[in-house]
Amino acid sequence: MRAVSGIAIRELVRFLRQPGRALGSLARPFVWLLFAGAGYGAVFAGRGELDYRVYMAPGLLGMVVMFGALLAALSTVIDREAGVLRMLLVAPIRRRTIALGKALGATLLGTSQAVAVGAVLLPLVRLRPSAQELALAGVALVLSSLAMGALGLVLAATMRSLENFAGVMNFVVFPMLFLSGALYPVAHLGPILHALTYANPLAYGVDLLKHALLGAWTAAGYGGEFPPTVDVAALAGFAGAGLAVAAPLLTREGGVTRAAFRERA
Amino acid sequence: MSTAAIEARGLGKDFGSVRALDQLDLDVHEAEFFALLGPNGAGKTTTVHLLATLLTPSRGRARVAGQDVAHDGLAVRRQIGLVFQETTLDRDLTVEENLRFAARLWNLPSRLAAPRIETCLRDFGLAQRRDARVRTLSGGERRAADIARGLLHEPRILFLDEPTAGLDPRARRSLWELVGRLRRASGLTVFLTTHYVEEAEPCDRVAVVDRGRLAALGTPAELKRTAGAGTLEEVFLARTGHALGETELR
Repeated sequence: MRAVSGIAIRELVRFLRQPGRALGSLARPFVWLLFAGAGYGAVFAGRGELDYRVYMAPGLLGMVVMFGALLAALSTVIDREAGVLRMLLVAPIRRRTIALGKALGATLLGTSQAVAVGAVLLPLVRLRPSAQELALAGVALVLSSLAMGALGLVLAATMRSLENFAGVMNFVVFPMLFLSGALYPVAHLGPILHALTYANPLAYGVDLLKHALLGAWTAAGYGGEFPPTVDVAALAGFAGAGLAVAAPLLTREGGVTRAAFRERA
Repeated sequence: MSTAAIEARGLGKDFGSVRALDQLDLDVHEAEFFALLGPNGAGKTTTVHLLATLLTPSRGRARVAGQDVAHDGLAVRRQIGLVFQETTLDRDLTVEENLRFAARLWNLPSRLAAPRIETCLRDFGLAQRRDARVRTLSGGERRAADIARGLLHEPRILFLDEPTAGLDPRARRSLWELVGRLRRASGLTVFLTTHYVEEAEPCDRVAVVDRGRLAALGTPAELKRTAGAGTLEEVFLARTGHALGETELR
């Protein structure tokens, strides 16, 4: 549908208009590879079977997806503050079309950034996945981006302004990252933290990426832990639930008009 | 039968315990230039948002372009254009990109959208500025682009909510010339909200609103005659007991 693609394409154009944001997000995983890779690698090296930087690769792609899609979806808060959301609300489109367009825009941004990073990262750590493994990685990137985008929309709908952004980083972004298996296998975490990983959409995305990229090390315990079908189902479930929750919240009455009214009343 | 473009009966809206609008009855005819005149906080924007289906009425009902606002929001929104008090354009996109974005939201196929965008850019004096980012436009240019955006899908009814706020006198004048041309060319119904009497003066009919209630309704001449007043300002004073300019801004 035209409206959905229009909303999604606008996200991409806006992203490309902000070279600082684009460069920053593409450089971030390499900074982690350099510093976290060196630090954790020194500890990890004792186990021998796998270079830590290779182990990190799927997690770093998951991280790119998380930041890319989540931040794109959170830009809805800026749309609301700048008034652009009103243009969407007065258009003859359903509320769920708006949420879908936003989520697909986030998917487009998350996936394309991860593909761009992967094109450099994988050769850099000497991972050479087969075409089939690459296809599975692609599925993982798209589904994870969609789930992250939907989650970002739920957050955006509940935030009044981006002032609570630090809270999002501390209580959503970092816990999700550290409980995703991106930096270390989560199987060794304590029971409570381990239980939390099941509620973490990024964990399923990273798990699916490990299936795709670390298949050769599955026997050694570094590959995916859940069956790939479970990962796919969980990501799709998070995406669907997120969209269902976000659509009415995002466009609820007063999100636009009450704020305008409050200024004067 | 009725050719009412807008028809409201007992329309009301509460925000929590605040009664923003109460018992509004009005009819706006096809091709009419209609003004809602009142001070800030009178319920003008609430009225527009109710008629544009952005808010759900607490009481009463309204039909816009023959469709019920509470039940046929999509059908209503297809027939109306709405220019908000503040710009809704994406400041990081160019004028043309904003119009193309709007065309997609209104589901215009590109073979239809492209010539309309050209026409709009020309009619609104934006042809030279098409590739300029919206954040670099002057207030008047931005307003013109907002109205172009609101008219791109050729609506039957155009809502202008305090359209001259923040504009310099020259930009105001060219805005009203533009609205006049549009009305003559297409028989567009225009629903204006304003707190400036001089903007309500040239309208076909004026509804005077204050504190969420309709205080008077008629042509400017009728209003002045029945209130025994020489100006719309005096009409407001006679009907509400206080001057238009001095409603407290709490």
